[in-house]
Amino acid sequence: MIPFEYRTPKNLKEVHATLKEFGADAKLISGGTALVIMMKQRLVRPSCLVSLGSVRGLNGIELKNGGVSIGGLATHRSVEGSSLVRRRLPMLAETYHHVATLRIRNVATVGGGLAHADPNQDPPPSLIALGATVKVTSANGSRVVPLDEFFKGYYETILNPDEIITEVMVPKLAANTGAAYIKFLPRTADDYATVSAAAVLTLDKTMKTIADVRIALGSVGETPIHATAAEALLRGQPLKAEAFAEAGEKAKEAVDPVSDFRGSAAYKKDMAGVFVRRALEKALADIRQQAKAKSAPKPAKKKVAKKKGKKK
Amino acid sequence: MKFSQTAQIPVAREPLWDFLMDVPKVAKSLPGVESVNKLDDTTYEGALTVRVGPIKLNLQGKIILEEQNKTDWRAALRAEAKDRMAAGAVNGKTTMTLKELGANQTELLVETDVNILGKIGEFGQPIIRKKADAMLKEFVENIKKQLAG
Amino acid sequence: MNKKIKFRVNGKKAELEVPTNRLLIDCLRYDLGLTGTKEGCSVGVCGACTVLLDGDMITACLTLAVMADGHDITTVEGLAKNGELNPVQKSFIQYGGFQCGICTPGQVVAATALLKENPKPNEEEIKDWMMGNLCRCTGYYKIIESIEKAHQFAK
Repeated sequence: MIPFEYRTPKNLKEVHATLKEFGADAKLISGGTALVIMMKQRLVRPSCLVSLGSVRGLNGIELKNGGVSIGGLATHRSVEGSSLVRRRLPMLAETYHHVATLRIRNVATVGGGLAHADPNQDPPPSLIALGATVKVTSANGSRVVPLDEFFKGYYETILNPDEIITEVMVPKLAANTGAAYIKFLPRTADDYATVSAAAVLTLDKTMKTIADVRIALGSVGETPIHATAAEALLRGQPLKAEAFAEAGEKAKEAVDPVSDFRGSAAYKKDMAGVFVRRALEKALADIRQQAKAKSAPKPAKKKVAKKKGKKK
Repeated sequence: MKFSQTAQIPVAREPLWDFLMDVPKVAKSLPGVESVNKLDDTTYEGALTVRVGPIKLNLQGKIILEEQNKTDWRAALRAEAKDRMAAGAVNGKTTMTLKELGANQTELLVETDVNILGKIGEFGQPIIRKKADAMLKEFVENIKKQLAG
Repeated sequence: MNKKIKFRVNGKKAELEVPTNRLLIDCLRYDLGLTGTKEGCSVGVCGACTVLLDGDMITACLTLAVMADGHDITTVEGLAKNGELNPVQKSFIQYGGFQCGICTPGQVVAATALLKENPKPNEEEIKDWMMGNLCRCTGYYKIIESIEKAHQFAK
């Protein structure tokens, strides 16, 4: 690794001042798991590492306007284990659980992961499907960006060199909404997905028409893919057997995967269609299960409705 | 890694050929090329900076005009460059072929075969492919701009 | 450039001056002589370099030594107390949880962290927690059994 300066600012003001001092050759580091690998290989050679390890107050996970606000410095592990997230957004807790290994999740942060912008990551498709936005802060103030406008290319985002992700905001879900994230892992459990698909489905009061749907895919392009055309096929339509398969086929048109050791481009494209369909089916099952749990006679002791997902 | 780019240039074949024989002009049409210096009639040295997110490559090396076949309207440039910080090396060959479409219209076909060696090569073939493809597209657009304008 | 860091390793204070680009695994092995932690893959995948930072598993080959400043590190050398092996270590010996031993420090440190959080994990829970600790020798059966039965050695 090429030598570098190492700074440990205590708050955002100091972070911005340090970034300004070193300019574009400074890199922010939080968990560091992605950055240190690249530095070991001399692919990234910052003149200064600005550690966020001493910055307090940016790792909270809380209820906000009915939705969930996750601090940019919250670790993957804290999101996966948060009782708030597991109750309100179990699909998101499950998604964060899918990332790499526990060692990585213990230190890798939500903001750091998004800023790294590897299109094979698990959280982005789920967050996009959930309609998440990110708050990005510089010395001059903050701006809020919808997550599907955040990614520009491989390792490239809309972040300016002096900006830091301070918050990820997942809005309140409508009634009759189910969510699913499926990671297709034909190789090892700790790998990135060959293809991944996230779907958030909302039915209307009759439970027979699709009021809203959001579909996003990972590992099939230079960025996570928000499959808006596939969504348009479903929105406002009655629930019918072939609808999800058709949406899967439509989603294939939005993907542009590369051939690599996880699969050929053609195979990944085919699987994109399959897994979009499966994610939609799983989201629908989630809606039905929630409805069943709600209408079930309440036991004497208060129980949290059992959701499909890994235990920690 | 092979790439192929085609463009319709609104210029006759002869002036396009003359343009392509000006190696520094052609090299500077590739985005990221910072300098091109002549060493002899067919050899130049150059520097190219490529960025992919946080990864920056400073490639330095030689460009050789390997083929100049006016009869067949085909030229080839060979390049060999190393990254300054030893993250890897790039060597490749670009063959440019001109096809007359009309009095003021020529089709430029750019076929590139590139090998990426070392860490950058190990690291992300898909990233490199996308980046190289985008760069070559811009290369052809820049040539078009310079001749059409 | 160098930085002075202060942290605790296996309960003992450590005060060093290290280059900023020193990795924690190298600091532990070479600056502090704690060679129990092994480097397997260098890219954070194999788990041989697993150590605990404030009780949580981390990847020592992907952590800068300066990042340990102010924290508590536990390596495999810190698991035994007063010469007595901890329950996980005793169980690995009893049930044969290792062959060549190169992944074992990482396995044992990871399993110790698991048992702190869940004293009697079942097979599913063990696999989920230990998923990032690879072993080329055992096929994992004995590792899982050792962890499953470690509670037998708890006081």
